[in-house]
Amino acid sequence: MTDRISTFRLVGKFAISLIAVVVLQGILAYRLRVFSYLDLPLILSVYYGFTLGRPIPSVIIGTSIGLMQDSLSGAPMGTNGFSKTLIGYVAATAGTKFDVDLPVTRAVAIFLFTLGDGLVVSILGLMTGSALNPSYSDIFWHWLVSGAFNALLGMLMFGYHDRVTHAVS
Amino acid sequence: MRTVIASKKPAWITLAVALVFHALLLSVQMNKRIDTSFVRVWLLDSLGPAEKFVDVSVESVENIWRGYFDLIHVRRENLKLQSENDRMRMDLARRQEEVLELGRLRQLMDLQATDIGKTVVARIIGREPSLGGQTVTIDKGTHSGVQRDSTVMSPDGVVGRVIYAGNFSSVVQLIVDSQSAVGFIVQSSRRLGILKGTGGSELEMEYIDDDNDIKQGDELITSGQDRIYPKGLPLGVVVFVGPRQATFKVVRIRPRVNFARLEEVLCMTEHLPEVPAGQVP
Repeated sequence: MTDRISTFRLVGKFAISLIAVVVLQGILAYRLRVFSYLDLPLILSVYYGFTLGRPIPSVIIGTSIGLMQDSLSGAPMGTNGFSKTLIGYVAATAGTKFDVDLPVTRAVAIFLFTLGDGLVVSILGLMTGSALNPSYSDIFWHWLVSGAFNALLGMLMFGYHDRVTHAVS
Repeated sequence: MRTVIASKKPAWITLAVALVFHALLLSVQMNKRIDTSFVRVWLLDSLGPAEKFVDVSVESVENIWRGYFDLIHVRRENLKLQSENDRMRMDLARRQEEVLELGRLRQLMDLQATDIGKTVVARIIGREPSLGGQTVTIDKGTHSGVQRDSTVMSPDGVVGRVIYAGNFSSVVQLIVDSQSAVGFIVQSSRRLGILKGTGGSELEMEYIDDDNDIKQGDELITSGQDRIYPKGLPLGVVVFVGPRQATFKVVRIRPRVNFARLEEVLCMTEHLPEVPAGQVP
């Protein structure tokens, strides 16, 4: 019984954080233009992938957050779901194989995940006919700026996580 | 490095199942064999109220920030005067905001009173920008009569069209979205054509050859031939007519609507084929 309650609490905690991040992304990108370069759902997928270190929950989290992101955007359902699922899995697997406790490693990883996410979303866009038509240089610069912003925010989030973890232990 | 918690089920099976699920979801949407819009409607209905709640909260915090923290320096000079000043300024800011909102709503009501068909006023509660993509979320859905392809406008002109309608909120594709296309008429020469979104802040004309007489400053209105936007709504003004590239000329249009400052919009719930000339401000 106690196990079941704690499982419900854990699932509830994850669900609330996923909904909060997707909703915040929508609101903040509307109010502050800089947030259009940030991808909070991506950062959260990587964050849970690294901190949990378990691929199955990370895949479920990536799938859920990607679908929620798709529902609030004009993208076909499954575009961000596909991408965030892959990112969750790769982040969780990388977390067990590499030392992701170093801030530099995390920043580089989030930067690369941002480029990967952009690439997967663009390929799926081309395949589904919902591809965008800006120039390749525009896409490249958007990915670079977005990667830098995500890496910066990711480092702050991980730093906060480390402080809380150390304080508890 | 973290240690993996041993699991009897290989993780890659879960990954494969999830990826196949997404691929199938994308595939059925493209083939349109099965209607999957209920998934989006369900998620939109679940997330819409949360987005609206956070939007209202953020706005409240913004108001407090502007009305309160801006007065810190004055408080140092005279605490008593500052306290009084605080109340007055907060009250004034709130009233100014109310006056501005009243003005915007009055403009919308004026537009609503014209013979453009049944409409409903909606508030923008979120934005989901992506590269080339320009969509916003509004707080009205099918319960208010909003449907897929409902025209969305402001007193300045066309804003876009509804691409997904939930019960209580909808996703609007702005006319500057790279996937957007609108049929237009040049108001002076009555020339017809198609406007495409660029994903940025401007629109581009398609298939304009050397023979056209389009020039800077030309006003464009909707043609109604796309069967989405009613005829006669203001679209934008020509700001750049470039030289011919390959077969066609490059013509850029600045939309009449300032999308960065858009807060309330009008959604058509009943489509009329033509807006009588001079009805739209």
